[in-house]
Amino acid sequence: MTAPSPRSTPANGARWLTQALEAEGVRTLFGYPGGTIMPFYDALVDSQLKHVLVRHEQGAALAANGFARASGQVGVCVATSGPGASNLVTGIADAMLDSVPMVCITGQVATPLLGTDAFQELDVFGLTLPIVKHSWLVRSVDDLPRVVGEAFRVAREGRPGPVLIDLPKDVQVADASHLPAHRPAAVPPPAEPAQAALAEAIAVLATAEKPVIYAGGGIALGEAVDELRAFVDASGIPTVMTLRGLGALPAAHRHSLGMLGMHGTRAANMAVQECDVLLVLGARFDDRATGKLVEFAPFARVVHIDADAYEISKLRTADVAVPGDVARAIRALHAAFPSPPPQQAPWRARCAQHRERFAARYDAPGSQVYAPALLKRLSELAPADTVIACDVGQHQMWVAQHCRFNHPRNHLTSGALGTMGFGLPAAMGAQFACPDRTVVLVSGDGSFMMNVQELTTIARCRLPVKIVLLDNSSLGMVRQWQELFFAERYSEIDLSDNPDFVALAKVFGIAATRIDARDDVEGGLAALLAEPGPALLHVAIDARANVWPLVPPNTANSTMLESNPATSRQETPNALPA
Amino acid sequence: MHYRLDLVLHPAEGALLRVIGMAERRGFAPRAITGAPVAADGGRWHLQLVVDGQRPPETLCRQMEKIYDCVSVQVTALDGVQA
Repeated sequence: MTAPSPRSTPANGARWLTQALEAEGVRTLFGYPGGTIMPFYDALVDSQLKHVLVRHEQGAALAANGFARASGQVGVCVATSGPGASNLVTGIADAMLDSVPMVCITGQVATPLLGTDAFQELDVFGLTLPIVKHSWLVRSVDDLPRVVGEAFRVAREGRPGPVLIDLPKDVQVADASHLPAHRPAAVPPPAEPAQAALAEAIAVLATAEKPVIYAGGGIALGEAVDELRAFVDASGIPTVMTLRGLGALPAAHRHSLGMLGMHGTRAANMAVQECDVLLVLGARFDDRATGKLVEFAPFARVVHIDADAYEISKLRTADVAVPGDVARAIRALHAAFPSPPPQQAPWRARCAQHRERFAARYDAPGSQVYAPALLKRLSELAPADTVIACDVGQHQMWVAQHCRFNHPRNHLTSGALGTMGFGLPAAMGAQFACPDRTVVLVSGDGSFMMNVQELTTIARCRLPVKIVLLDNSSLGMVRQWQELFFAERYSEIDLSDNPDFVALAKVFGIAATRIDARDDVEGGLAALLAEPGPALLHVAIDARANVWPLVPPNTANSTMLESNPATSRQETPNALPA
Repeated sequence: MHYRLDLVLHPAEGALLRVIGMAERRGFAPRAITGAPVAADGGRWHLQLVVDGQRPPETLCRQMEKIYDCVSVQVTALDGVQA
């Protein structure tokens, strides 16, 4: 490649936009160039922005997504019009459903060509209407200052989410010398919870004998982790967490009962089913968390605190609704309950007993690698502030169950959309956001292949991402459901023709080794974590392994299976007599 | 159940699509729509959208309020009204 021409970018819309991104605090963005976004890429040559060239636009959207999840900052991705824009869609939808702040910039055909079926013209504005917080088709360069200011404000404020700026090529090249320098818009603070509602919540909690806190992703989004920990320490209220709430309390916290729901802990699900007051903090009664909704927490009065008023009483009517800032609401509760209420002592003891009694066991029979034990050990060997990203499927649930997180932002998981292929680009984005921390990707052989091209990006940037690839040569979660709920009629789940993953990684220039036996786990993990650069550990696991416990779909959370009731095979040590 | 939503919208590109799409995605079928920009209100759209659905209309209203182009929304039950 020759050095760029010494000419500077003209003061056009594209140049103004790169300067505005810098003013917004953007340092890194992920993208892929193409025809209609070329003026923007020309302007990048003269900007301070670090652009990461991915190998597929979905990788750009998911990398920006992972960057934002790990850092709490806005993630930015860029693509050209047409297929470039449509390839972003899954990453944008993923951000929308998990409330991840992103600004997505797409090139568009010049305004005179809009609506003419021009080459690579696609109505991405219309295509993404249901999956963005807001979007703009910028028809005049004079609109850029307003649109960019609103875009970053909307992405950040309230419940965060993705926004889209569709930018026609003629707007990018239009003269912008008359536009003022960009000044970021102030983000309004979350609304203060109403005092009357808080008083009502406190009154309900004061009479509770068996309260449970149900904490969700809104704890991290609302910057309420410290407040939650202080409140739980003071009040002693047993706490369950959603998939996205994991880490709000450290896993070892004495009042943490772990994750609730379909693959939650027995202690968590039993507590929720028995409680008399359910204090919902930044959670939304997702069906994977509640099981059969009408039988969820059947004895509980519900106090629901959420920054997004829409979520309150959407699925379960709240007895006390407290819309507003979750952190401030928790501080008010803490002030009201500076010590554990005495009448709740038997309940606290019962929950603590369940926590011990139903704790996961790792003494599984056999010599094959037992994935839960490997993940527990990975969590123990890696630094405490390690970011662990995962993909979607059985391994995702094992990560949630057996890895230990000390902050929700250290756990990158596609919660609501369940995006296979999320993990590799998300880990890449997280490593850019946290260059001095260990970033681990735990993936499965199905998910891994969905964005495997980003190994090139990792290698090119020498990102020291550590990859643990759990390989059961099948689509494990689909196979598990076919085994349990479709009479073992296995349909299109065989991946036994996977490539040689070690050879594959090496082709990309990434160090890789394979382990097959339990005795190799310790050495394999230690070697992986000791690698200075990117590395992959290919782990062969039992193709018949299932995720337990399991609440069957449309069933109350009190029904937790530890093994397949149709067979005598006992897969987990928790299914064995103690 | 039929409901009438009285909406005030910023006259922005996509605003109509957003509110109609939101109603449909949240389980309410659009049955009728009338409205126009009102010059005396800065060109804002004043829109009446009749929808049919079994879910709580208050939930739909709160979701509509999250649309950035939506200035206000009010819901009225139209019991017995055939749109």
